[in-house]
Amino acid sequence: EDALLPSPQNISILSTNMRHFLTWSPVTIQGETVRYSVEFQGEYEREYANESWIPICECSLITATVCNITEDISATVAYNLRVRADTGARRSQWGTLKGFFNRITTSLTPPPMKVIADGYHLLVELKDMGPAFQFCVLYWKKGQESRMHWKMVKDVSSTVHLDTMEAGHDYCVKAQTYVETINRSSSFSQTQCVRAQGGRSLRL
Amino acid sequence: SVTEIRSGFTAIKANIQARDPIRTLSILSHPQSLHKVKSSDRCCIIHNLFNFYMDKVFKHCQTEDSYINRKISSIANSFLSIKKKLEQCHNQNKCLCGQESTEKFKQILANYEGLNITSAAIKSLGELDILLDWMEKSR
Amino acid sequence: SGELYCSLPNPRNVHFESINMKNVLHWSAPEGTGEGVLYKVKYSVYGVGKWIRKPECRNINRTWCDLSNETADYEEQYYASVKAFLNGMCSDWMETARFNPLTDTKIDPPVVNLSSTEKSISIILTAPEKWKRSPDGESVSLLQVYPGLQYNVSVLNKKTKKRWFFSISNNTLVVPWLEPGTAYCVSAQIHVTTPLLHSGFSKEYCIATLKDKTA
Repeated sequence: EDALLPSPQNISILSTNMRHFLTWSPVTIQGETVRYSVEFQGEYEREYANESWIPICECSLITATVCNITEDISATVAYNLRVRADTGARRSQWGTLKGFFNRITTSLTPPPMKVIADGYHLLVELKDMGPAFQFCVLYWKKGQESRMHWKMVKDVSSTVHLDTMEAGHDYCVKAQTYVETINRSSSFSQTQCVRAQGGRSLRL
Repeated sequence: SVTEIRSGFTAIKANIQARDPIRTLSILSHPQSLHKVKSSDRCCIIHNLFNFYMDKVFKHCQTEDSYINRKISSIANSFLSIKKKLEQCHNQNKCLCGQESTEKFKQILANYEGLNITSAAIKSLGELDILLDWMEKSR
Repeated sequence: SGELYCSLPNPRNVHFESINMKNVLHWSAPEGTGEGVLYKVKYSVYGVGKWIRKPECRNINRTWCDLSNETADYEEQYYASVKAFLNGMCSDWMETARFNPLTDTKIDPPVVNLSSTEKSISIILTAPEKWKRSPDGESVSLLQVYPGLQYNVSVLNKKTKKRWFFSISNNTLVVPWLEPGTAYCVSAQIHVTTPLLHSGFSKEYCIATLKDKTA
């Protein structure tokens, strides 16, 4: 069967916060529906398994030009990825991602965060970003930036208690995500400050 | 990471262990349990076992189920990334192999070679939690 | 030859149910068999060559058998098997999946003990004990079995309806600077990272801070 179809071009990876997507430009053939199939190859497959490729069945004969490969990029090694176009009667050669993809290059964004003063208690609400994520939360009494406290938070299903505060004082908080499997952190979120009871609770 | 290997294995444990009908033989835990290995021999056993799984196990565990194959690939690639870290430890000679660990590893290879290659590989893969339990317990 | 004719339908859904490593074999009666079915149970240590009969579960009519004693070593893994008998007929031996007590057990929530002062509550958590052979046998806390064990604690202010969440490694937590004369309800959960296990949250235990004497 001759590979008459052009292979997909502009194959690239979008990877943010450990969620990885393969994208490519559509192959357009007048009057025909073009479908795509994606395969991956980890470093193990290259070094130990005869350079075999593994199909991603969720992205087999799909019409979309994006594939969520997060489930399969599940180790901190270099992965190869490839896409092929298919109209049923004809099929393209594989188009392969230029260079490897390693999840260590994912971009990590500062975590959305809400700081709360509840009486003399300093609390923080963080958004659950998935099992790979922990949060490093720094907090300090305003003006005492040299005496910062920190807390590693893993479970963020509800309002997390950080510490107690002295009456009427302002306390500031900032947080960053930490991904243990790639040993990297995001930049810090915007600092948010609140005031302990014994004075109006202001967001400064 | 080991956590990712553990969750990958948990996803395929029932399927893989169901493919191993032999109850009377274990690759890793009998006749001598991993839990009896001295802590000084730990690094050597882990190093040898990671090589064992890379060289002799994963590649012979191809199944007809693409989901299982993808999970095995995920585990194998996680093994590879940990193995590379262990290599640094091994190359700096901090991973000495005593006589006991050498004997233990020989026993594991003998258990493995006592079966045909596919059965031995599937059995070894099905015993991954034995390795992980031991690694995590004595961490 | 006295050989039983094994055409009785098989016991179904043969599996271990384990809580705090109390490991009980359960199964369902063979399809379509009414009263009078009896069962036999055997078990084996994975990797060891022989099946061992459980005498206390021989010719029983109940559909469970406590194998905690036989599966107490959580560094081993196990299989168990059940056979049914009725009117001179029998079923095949029906086996469990491979059972790993360390990863396949469920963990009860911790016990929560509270005390309070005017402005604080003190929370003491006690992890459940591993199943033991007899009441006067040696107690082993699950903390010893799972060194990475942690507690997640939820504290609800009944007046403001606000809930705070703490994650602690040791088993005591003091929450200071609270409002006098206010009810707080606490529930706690056990969380083990390796292997990944967690209990449900305990029921809520409530206590009130003492009234402010100066007010």
